[in-house]
Amino acid sequence: MDIQQLLTLLLIVPIVASIVIWLMPTNFKVLSTVHVIGSIVSTLIAMKAVLSVIDGKVLFAYDQMLFLDSLGGVFLSLIGITGLLVNLYSVKYMQWEIEKNEITLKDAKLFFALSHLFVFTMTFSVIANNIALMWVAIEATTLSSVFMVAVHKGKKSTESGWKYIVICSIGLAFALYATVLLYSAGFSVINDSHSIMLWTTLMAHAKEINPDVLKLIFVFALIGFGTKAGLAPTHTWLPDVHSEGPAPASAMLSGILLKCAILGLIRYYAVVGNSMVGFEYVQSIMIISGLVTIFIAALFLIRQHDVKRMFAYHSIAHMGVIAFGLGVGGFLGLFAALFHALAHSVTKALAFCVTGNMVKIYGTRDMTKMGGLIKIAPITAILFGIAICSLVGVPGFAIFVSEFLIVQESINTGIFLPVVLFIIGLIVIFIADFSHFNLATFGESKTKILTSKIEWSANLPLIGLAALIIIFGIFSVDGWVTLLNNAVKIITGV
Amino acid sequence: MIDLLSVLSIAMIITSLLVFGLRNYKISIYVYSLQTFLLVGIFLLLSSSHLAEQLTVWAGIAFVTKVIFIPYILLRLIKKLGVVYEDEPVAGFFVSPIIAMAFSLAIAMSIYPTYLEFSLIKESIPLIASITIFMMGIFGFILRNSAIKQILAYCMFENGIHLSLALMAYNSPEIAELGILTDAIFAVLIMSVLAQRFYKYFASLDVSKATELKG
Repeated sequence: MDIQQLLTLLLIVPIVASIVIWLMPTNFKVLSTVHVIGSIVSTLIAMKAVLSVIDGKVLFAYDQMLFLDSLGGVFLSLIGITGLLVNLYSVKYMQWEIEKNEITLKDAKLFFALSHLFVFTMTFSVIANNIALMWVAIEATTLSSVFMVAVHKGKKSTESGWKYIVICSIGLAFALYATVLLYSAGFSVINDSHSIMLWTTLMAHAKEINPDVLKLIFVFALIGFGTKAGLAPTHTWLPDVHSEGPAPASAMLSGILLKCAILGLIRYYAVVGNSMVGFEYVQSIMIISGLVTIFIAALFLIRQHDVKRMFAYHSIAHMGVIAFGLGVGGFLGLFAALFHALAHSVTKALAFCVTGNMVKIYGTRDMTKMGGLIKIAPITAILFGIAICSLVGVPGFAIFVSEFLIVQESINTGIFLPVVLFIIGLIVIFIADFSHFNLATFGESKTKILTSKIEWSANLPLIGLAALIIIFGIFSVDGWVTLLNNAVKIITGV
Repeated sequence: MIDLLSVLSIAMIITSLLVFGLRNYKISIYVYSLQTFLLVGIFLLLSSSHLAEQLTVWAGIAFVTKVIFIPYILLRLIKKLGVVYEDEPVAGFFVSPIIAMAFSLAIAMSIYPTYLEFSLIKESIPLIASITIFMMGIFGFILRNSAIKQILAYCMFENGIHLSLALMAYNSPEIAELGILTDAIFAVLIMSVLAQRFYKYFASLDVSKATELKG
């Protein structure tokens, strides 16, 4: 298989899966089978593509409009791994929703079809070398996922769908201005309309582009992609959207989509950092953005009793951690930021999917009405515990690794005050989370239990996610570390 | 030529004020259509005055999609919902357009020199117009609560970006412009469906009444 075929298949397979599901008869068994097969094939192709760029090779196709480098490979692996496990879980989850009459079979069909379209848009955003197409793909991720979020009928679902499309579209409009400005500024240097729209060309000529306009471009890009990534102060859509969608939709949005938006921002971060502006400028902005985001999220997190809303605020906090990692910079800081993208992806996917189990058991998302989960559904309780332990940065779980590296690099580079604030933010989150965890897991249930039966087919993908959290928390996975090292080299331009 | 370009650009700014300020949905939609028609005129003018042939194609596509199709979708939406007038917006009918226009013009005047420096077509007034219309759209979201007015605000800032794109990057690969436009059309379609749902559940188009999700 040549490179062009490989990159084409990355895009074609999810599109075909989406269309086939859409055209299928409305039969749950048939739909879920095609959904699972489509997800497995998409992931296999994604993993094949990632394996080809681990060593730093760059794949180009379609006159370089599409490409895959190690940096893209990091994010494509999230789409492949997290995407597959969440899609596998979504089969059982949708079946529960249909049984409870929360949604119809037709809604489930729409959800499955859209989830593949969503994977297509996210993959496209990761492999687009053309900066305008990258923007188009990121905007399309919103459009393709609106009705995954608003699949339920009712006031809350409609409100969350509206907020999602409106706020993200406004934010991304600024990112489009960043794109247009970067193109024009680049064109004044390289008189080639095709080539200057390519990120690889912009990186190669970053030093020649006017530094003043690059500063403005980065601010626009931060507003735009930062809104989509849930960075404060334009994060307001995220708690509503991530808490109202079905659990697998929340898992995909939080576990993968936020990272695709961060990748968009990282591409601009790299261009501006490698220009005459230098990394100091982008790093100082990202440190402020990261800290503000972490503190706002921590503040709201303390008083959350809705388990999904709590995890939604966690998503904001952890995007703040990634932003802070980018702000710290240096090889280790960037490595940690990228590592955090994977660590948070698998952790948050597990967290949101576990809430699906919890809502099935208790019939509520309110943790004050839960309790005794460890006796009612021990596997779900353990999975919940693993997600929480990772989210708050307990050693031995994936997120600890990146947070530790960020702190280490901050101390190495002498950014003492910000790192103290960073640690305080994390401690607040730690305390809030464990009190919530106790509330739901131990003691007696404060509400009538609807069921204690969670099928293995639902738990197995979650066990897979939990295993990844522990593996990445304990072991240094060689291939992954090499991929990250090469990705960092791309950002730093070394 | 230059004068006509300025006239069309200023007319676009005025239409943005009208789209923003008018209470009657139907007239607002017609004015939006007129604004896009003016945009098409600017594209055609620039294509001949600056030998930017690509803009002729852009004009054709914009005419079909934004002068005809999007207004048709919106007119059908208000007919289906049976709504005629917008409810009182934030800061009132009179004040909110003035605030929006004042801030939009101020922002446009402060940043257009940066745009002008790198613009392929170095025309000040159309550039000011593009940023002003974009900002009017952004303020439309902030200051108007009606779901339909917010869709129109989206359409408006998309027009602003479209004009910026034509001035600053008309020679960019066509696929980029087509992609951006496709996203915009789908966004309007999706927002229209959501606006219908909104009206069904909240018996109003006032998005400030949606307060189920807080905290």
